[in-house]
Amino acid sequence: MTDLPTDAPLASPASAGPAAYPDLPQASGPPSPPGPSCPTCGTDNDAGATFCEACGADIAPAGPAASGATTGAPTSGLAVGVGAVATPQTAPTGEESPLDVGWTGVVTATGAGSALPDLTCAACGLGQIVDGYCDHCGTPPPDPRNHVVQTPATWVGGVCDIGKRHSRNEDAMSLSASPTPGSRAVLVVCDGVSMATDSHIASLAAAKAALVVLDQPFPRGVGTHDAWTAGAGRALTTAVSEADAAVAATVTADVPNPPSCTFAAAVVENEVIVAANVGDSRVYWLPDSAAEPARQLGSDDSYAQEQIDGGMDREQAETGPQAHSITRWLGKDSPDDLTPHLTTVVATPGWLMVCSDGLWNYCSEADELRARVQSAATVAARPDGTSDPTEIAQQLVDFANAQGGRDNITVAVARLAGQGSIATSGVAFATAPAASEEEETTHG
Amino acid sequence: MADFTAEVFQNEFLPDGGTDVHAIVRVTSTGASTAGSMTTPTAAGSSAEVILIDTSGSMGRRGVAAASEAAKAALNEIVDGTLFAVVSGNGTAQIVYPYSHQGALVAMSSNTRGEAVRAVEGLRANGGTAMGTWLTLARKIFETVPHVTKRHAILLTDGVNEGETPQSLQSAVASCVGAFQCDCRGVGDQWRVEEVRSIASALLGTVDLIPAPEQMAAEFERMMRASMARGVANAELRVWVPQGAELLFVKQVSPNLEDLSSRKTQVNPLTGAYPTGAWSDESRDYHVAVRLPARTLGQEQLAARVSIALGPDPVAQALVKAKWSNDDTLTTRIDPAVAAYTGQAELAKVIQDGIAAKAAGQDDVATSKLGRAVQLAAQTGNAEMTTRLKKVVEIDDADTGTVRLKKGVSKIDDMSLDTASTKTSRVRR
Repeated sequence: MTDLPTDAPLASPASAGPAAYPDLPQASGPPSPPGPSCPTCGTDNDAGATFCEACGADIAPAGPAASGATTGAPTSGLAVGVGAVATPQTAPTGEESPLDVGWTGVVTATGAGSALPDLTCAACGLGQIVDGYCDHCGTPPPDPRNHVVQTPATWVGGVCDIGKRHSRNEDAMSLSASPTPGSRAVLVVCDGVSMATDSHIASLAAAKAALVVLDQPFPRGVGTHDAWTAGAGRALTTAVSEADAAVAATVTADVPNPPSCTFAAAVVENEVIVAANVGDSRVYWLPDSAAEPARQLGSDDSYAQEQIDGGMDREQAETGPQAHSITRWLGKDSPDDLTPHLTTVVATPGWLMVCSDGLWNYCSEADELRARVQSAATVAARPDGTSDPTEIAQQLVDFANAQGGRDNITVAVARLAGQGSIATSGVAFATAPAASEEEETTHG
Repeated sequence: MADFTAEVFQNEFLPDGGTDVHAIVRVTSTGASTAGSMTTPTAAGSSAEVILIDTSGSMGRRGVAAASEAAKAALNEIVDGTLFAVVSGNGTAQIVYPYSHQGALVAMSSNTRGEAVRAVEGLRANGGTAMGTWLTLARKIFETVPHVTKRHAILLTDGVNEGETPQSLQSAVASCVGAFQCDCRGVGDQWRVEEVRSIASALLGTVDLIPAPEQMAAEFERMMRASMARGVANAELRVWVPQGAELLFVKQVSPNLEDLSSRKTQVNPLTGAYPTGAWSDESRDYHVAVRLPARTLGQEQLAARVSIALGPDPVAQALVKAKWSNDDTLTTRIDPAVAAYTGQAELAKVIQDGIAAKAAGQDDVATSKLGRAVQLAAQTGNAEMTTRLKKVVEIDDADTGTVRLKKGVSKIDDMSLDTASTKTSRVRR
């Protein structure tokens, strides 16, 4: 009986169903002020810009990036914020709506957002940042992208770090999650291609554009598992093309080496994961049970992967001379076929991870990664028996930095308890045995 | 009101371990000349001018006659309402005009101009040369009008300072620093460039050579007109460097070379101020060099804030930056403006050293210095300086700097090369 699809409308997976307030008007955002100046570096940006073209900092409070598309935006912890993002976060004041996924009530304006930024120099602690530089030691404030921490919900968190060797963080991360564990989350990681110019702009644009697409509820069709995964797959494919367009739009003229980036994303809804990737950023499924294999979802678009497919040993291929050359990417000069590698997994208790090569360079094998996550989870244990996902991500970033930190490092993890664990039943899918085989569709 | 802008030319990239940052800061003022416009009478007391005329015996009848013509030309350029005085100097200094019952300074009008012209026509050559006394009298004159912010003098001499010790001249000059600005001109070939240059330099003025007495009038007219066009009285260049940094030097490099480093007064522990005198509508370039403790690759630091201040507040600012990089294509490039002015500064130095060595009879040193000057002038395409050098040396090979000292060079040519050495050609972007 429980196999039957529910007839409840599933436009939103949030516990507060949309049917309760169907006629509530969507608050429309105030018009964006023309040409907001970046609060970090002072660069003037185009009207409607949500992040700085020059340094990548968020330009608050520009509001939703695109019309309509984000009116249902849930707990979006966008990729750049100074320090940790509060949990959970909702739409800007005046724009929140019970239709939002993860509706947490009306947001009052008396938040930390209204506080004046602290301009004390982080380097010397003595001076003030007066014109983009400290008036005592001359040091500019650290690029907020150098270390980004996001915790959109208690069960989802991520860390995006500059690493030890690069002068700029070209990784970007966009996370969102509903408060109820396992209910709905989006994890996006993009890695700017270091051979191209200004790829830090590319990765941020891609991650933000993808989140806008993936935050929208997917059509469920007849409400079956297959229908939802098909919808999720289409949404991820759309997210890739939207992200590709966003990256291409970061340059207007023909430049010889246009910004480009990779794409890896996972969408979780009611303990079902759909993963997608283009390039060599990865999604890993790391189940708790040793009986179930830990593994990478999808596969890399890389020269190394081509060699592995051709029979070469993985370690040898991934440390070879062209190990980091990717064969597909997002950007103005992206290949025509950007259909992502799509993978669906029905979760058992375990960890979902989306990461950039800054991590897996030091820990490519899924089994080894699972062991590291599990030991990190022990350290990050909370009194209630769960583990802090952000703390786990931080430990893995620390691990990569301890190994040398040769590249930017991004780790985003989500804790999944397995199908049937969610108290609000009636949203389970038609055919969902706990350890069901996923279907993988690999294109091109 | 004048508007100031400041722009910076530099290569901000430093190699691994690099410490020295060089930048050219171009300060430009617009709207500065309107305050002292030629067409509208200046509000009484907004500026003051003193003309110092050498009437030592060496000037002779012809020299003094030409000097009085020059003074008249200058008087004609002084805008009505400007406070002025004319001083004649020999072993001592006397106020020629205004008459004693009128006070030390009088406002320019058609009436006072006429009286002043008649007064300078009565000048006679007699006695020695003690420029310290002239400057001291000028200072005392200016001190009677403490409310006047824009104070300028023109000093004319034809000979070497005598009748007072060099120390006495030095202390007189020092007492005038900050009291007024002074443009200095030497006529003929009997004065010492170095001596007069040190006066002009300390008093934020220019120095130049007037070869013949008949050319004085045109030069005085030009000088006074330039002074009248300066509508901004006192601008101050300020340079901030971060804690732990060392300011190597601050030089004006255009329109002429002037090392400002020794004129520094401290605004606060990290900021020094350098007087720049009065401004008309013009651009001046400054070369700032800062030594920073090296940072790790990829880091960025502000190396200097260079601003121009009128009164207590900066009106324009430029930021000099440092970024450490391991990209050789970025770090090995030298900014063209920095390179050009560095070359011009070296050119000025070798010319002055060469002329000094020649005067001291050290022909081998002079040959080597002037040879290097010829080489630098050729490399930088400074045709004007090459022409001046050719009057002093025979050039065998400009590329290698192989030269021979010319025999029987007129002293005027040596002096003209010396005075021209600090004039730089503006570096274009």
